[in-house]
Amino acid sequence: MDILWQYQFRIILLGDSTVGKSSLLKRFTDGIYSDVADPTVGVDFYARSLDIEPGIKIKLQLWDTAGQERFRSITTSYYRNSVGGLLVFDLTNHKTFDHVREWHKEVSEHILPHNMVYILIGHKSDLNKDRKVTQDEAEQLAAEMGIRYVETSAKCNSNVDRAFQLLSRDIYELMKMGQITTRDGWDGVKSGLTTRVLYPGDEDIELEPREKSCNC
Amino acid sequence: MEKAYNVSSPPAFCVGANEKGNSSTYVTQPLSHGTAEAAARISKHVSRDATGCSDSRELGEAREDIGRSTVLVTDSPSGGTVSNCVIPEQGCDSATNGFTVSTMVGAKAGNSSAVAAVNREEMDGNALQRISLAEKNKESSAEEVDACHPPLNFVTAAETVESLTHSCNGQLELSCTAASRTVPEGLSNWDTDSVIQSTLSSDAVIRPPINWSMTPDKEAKMANGGLFIGHSSAKLHTETVVTIILDGAATCLSNTQCEKPSSIAMSAREGHHESCNIRVEPDGAGAQPRTQANIAGDLSGGATSNLTSQGLPSSPAPTKDPCRVTAKPDTIQGEEPSASGHLGDDLSSRPHPQALRTRTVPNSVSYDSTILSPGDEDGETFAELGTQGHSDRRFMDVSLSSRNTFESSRRQSAPGDIPEGLSVVSADPSELALQSKRPGIAEYFGRSLFPKKQREPKGPSQNVPGWKLFGKVPARESAPKDSRTIQQESTPDGLTSVSTPNLLSAGEFEARVGKAGPGGTSAGTSPTQPQQGRRKNLEFEPLSTTALILEDRPANLPAKSVEEAQRHRQEYDEMVAEAKKRELKEAQRKRKEMKERFKQEESIANAMVVWNNDILPNWENTRNTRRVRELWWQGLPPNVRGKVWSLAIGNELNITPELYEIFLSRAKERWRSFSETGSETEADDGASLADRESSLDLIKLDISRTFPPLFIFQKGGPYHDLLHSVLGAYTCYRPDVGYVQGMSFIAAVLILNLEEADAFIAFANLLNKPCQLAFFRVDHDLMLKYFAAFEVFFEENLPRLFNHFQSSNLTPDLYLIDWIFTLYSKSLPLDVACRVWDVFCRDGEEFLFRTGLGILRLYEDVLLQLDFIRSAQFLTRLPEDIGSDRLFACIAAAPMLNGNRKWSQVFHALIKDNKDMDRNCNPALKSL
Repeated sequence: MDILWQYQFRIILLGDSTVGKSSLLKRFTDGIYSDVADPTVGVDFYARSLDIEPGIKIKLQLWDTAGQERFRSITTSYYRNSVGGLLVFDLTNHKTFDHVREWHKEVSEHILPHNMVYILIGHKSDLNKDRKVTQDEAEQLAAEMGIRYVETSAKCNSNVDRAFQLLSRDIYELMKMGQITTRDGWDGVKSGLTTRVLYPGDEDIELEPREKSCNC
Repeated sequence: MEKAYNVSSPPAFCVGANEKGNSSTYVTQPLSHGTAEAAARISKHVSRDATGCSDSRELGEAREDIGRSTVLVTDSPSGGTVSNCVIPEQGCDSATNGFTVSTMVGAKAGNSSAVAAVNREEMDGNALQRISLAEKNKESSAEEVDACHPPLNFVTAAETVESLTHSCNGQLELSCTAASRTVPEGLSNWDTDSVIQSTLSSDAVIRPPINWSMTPDKEAKMANGGLFIGHSSAKLHTETVVTIILDGAATCLSNTQCEKPSSIAMSAREGHHESCNIRVEPDGAGAQPRTQANIAGDLSGGATSNLTSQGLPSSPAPTKDPCRVTAKPDTIQGEEPSASGHLGDDLSSRPHPQALRTRTVPNSVSYDSTILSPGDEDGETFAELGTQGHSDRRFMDVSLSSRNTFESSRRQSAPGDIPEGLSVVSADPSELALQSKRPGIAEYFGRSLFPKKQREPKGPSQNVPGWKLFGKVPARESAPKDSRTIQQESTPDGLTSVSTPNLLSAGEFEARVGKAGPGGTSAGTSPTQPQQGRRKNLEFEPLSTTALILEDRPANLPAKSVEEAQRHRQEYDEMVAEAKKRELKEAQRKRKEMKERFKQEESIANAMVVWNNDILPNWENTRNTRRVRELWWQGLPPNVRGKVWSLAIGNELNITPELYEIFLSRAKERWRSFSETGSETEADDGASLADRESSLDLIKLDISRTFPPLFIFQKGGPYHDLLHSVLGAYTCYRPDVGYVQGMSFIAAVLILNLEEADAFIAFANLLNKPCQLAFFRVDHDLMLKYFAAFEVFFEENLPRLFNHFQSSNLTPDLYLIDWIFTLYSKSLPLDVACRVWDVFCRDGEEFLFRTGLGILRLYEDVLLQLDFIRSAQFLTRLPEDIGSDRLFACIAAAPMLNGNRKWSQVFHALIKDNKDMDRNCNPALKSL
């Protein structure tokens, strides 16, 4: 049985193929890095808990999607149930950066009328000498989209935890402000098995038995 | 003349490591009619394999060392119709006119010669070949411990060899494997007369009975140092060693004209008189030593006979040999150590040592031949001959070195003693050192557990009335089994056989000849009996402690006190006891492993024979018979796997190899222009430009991400270019589909089992199946239909789990996409995946979903305890220890029946009234 958690966020990783989504997740959840990894076909799953603030444990349910454009029609079906998204590009490949905007647009449109909390990730920061995307232009793009930007490296374990922390915290803040709420039939956010719930109410009462039924 | 079908891909082969690290393949030219292409092709295969091996997981370290592989291919002189080559590579269809090909590899590493035996895992195809390296070190005999493995591998190789069927002259079905090796200079040792019928490399020439044509020059060509590796562990160190195995072959004839140190090991199976050769005298009885060394074996009838003949009966257990011979006409084994002028001076002058131990194991013959690299010109050949007694299954090691040394290697882990009867005696005590040990424990097992098994398989083959030599009757049936048997047995006993480390120097050749001839049960058993008693005594003596010597202190030091001496004695005893225990345990563990492996291999070998002899030649008529379907379900033997897949997948698209070449060259063009301009110029059908560009990039990236642990598809790996080519050609062939992630795994599996062009053809046709097309075009709606149909059967079969998944919103697309896209090759261990492919080829798409149900059933209990994310993780990363048998049991327990409706009915119903179904049955759809 899992450690108790207050909330569960479903977060999806988006970005072109081979930008390092799986590596990023492997580093974050398992603490390991390997140069070679299977290509992701369809979707892959990871999970990890984070303490966002004392006493508040968030369980992150991480969906790793196939980056190849061909799979887009499959992955789009997973957008809707996610509360957060990491838009990942490869710092050494400008094309992947160019595509970020498309990803952002596509996802945002797809989940309307709801919102997703994003963070922009410039990955492979260890390959600084091959860098094709400057920090400035990345930050500029992030500003345009109104989201944060972090440069990470799974290889050097640089900023990986921080990126997820930032995103989770953003989501959590939005929840506290009431801009994100759990809703029935939506798996983006779930409240867990504790007495501390931010929004005590009918929804939560409904949700709890459901959680139990699936042995969470 | 191209072969009708490919019977031959041997699961195992030997690879020799050469310090130079260059990989070269030696193909001996076909003696007479051989087709050059065939040879070339073979060599290609081989070299590919060699590298493959080096890259394969288990090789890892060995990789650099393995450089050179030598292959001897002999062609049939007479233009025999079909021959199967024994080539380590799977798909070698090469039709050599006639005769077998044996792969030999010589290894030379520094001063020590290493013989690597690569065993291909049955299921995995080449990729998973295992290599065991037996290092022969002059100094350390300890290393011999590991040597016990090689014999196993060799055995397998031998099996393959045996399984080959050749037809020479269209009349005979022969399988012969013979590798004879002589040192180049060694030619002198042989008379041109010496003819060996069957395959041959080097001096010996094997031919179909009818046409014998030997030209001395050819012989000369062939002569390269060679090795024979067999089961048997005797090492004869003579300059020439010839091993011949004839199956169903009329005659085997080995004539060694060498006067002296030439050892010949022949085993003839099921041969018959008719094809006797001059040299051979078909007595049926066995060996007739002629002149100096002449072994003639004649086998008539279906039975296999082992004969042992000793040219010089100075062996300690001469009596036994006769027994065997007489008792079992079937097997012939002859070893004739004769001193020859060729050998080192020392030898020639002496009375030779006769280290002959021949033990016959019923029905099993295995040979491996290894050829040393040509560089070794010393002309020292080591042959290890090991024969195993039927009942005892012992392995004997004899090693003769030109220096007249016999060494039998010991296995530390499994102590054994040499049965005297079997033991080698050296004429020259001073120079010959013989040590052989047999694990006594092993015997027990062998005796009590295995005999039954052994005999069972034999029975049929030997007893079959009306056994035909010429017909299609699979003469070989018994053979593969046997060899396996041997293997199993031998290991537990701690087959030390392989190791002859001390003797080898860099320039030396090593030959191992293993023979297990199917001796009659009676004969086989009798000799063993007496030995047992003896063995028991030695049984538990731990080898590892023999080095401890309790001695008094040197004279110049004060003597030990009584207590001290006592204490030392006691400590010594304890250590010995401890060591014994350890060894016992180890031996037991090994035995268990071997038993399991043996069992597996046995069934595979049996199946292989059936597939090769009965099913494949008659494919269209047999493929749908119940018997074949059942056999099919049990998994295809690795060496027919590719063939069966090809046949089953078919070629609706009528793709020819030429067409493949065309698309390949087109793809290469594209890569070139792409790399030059940075973008593609062509903008055509289907896929968007961006997608195609990324295709090219992606292929490159994904190739290196395909089965990374195998290290054969990565850049620089042996199959990297192949995979690249197949995928590239496909994107040109089907630009509307292009490259989709997941394809690389499918192509890789095919490449592991098929030739390049055949792999492409199978690949294209496979992807053209409706289900695959739907997935790879990512036709989402159609995919959802498949998922919906799956859920129908899911609910039917596993209602509890189905409900559990529903409640946690775990839809089948989350795990099925990966499974179906890669046909399980990414999710399941490769061997298991191949088995799934086997039946998928038989049953079609339905089986893919049925496999999914099998997996869910297999882990139902686990999954019921897990929440959404854990279940999803579990299913997308299945346990690595998933066993094919358990999985298939679960699959079998998941009938694809919904009421009376079969898969296709359910699926088509879904397509028809999709709207209704969408709403009612498919939660996946609802959520999407």
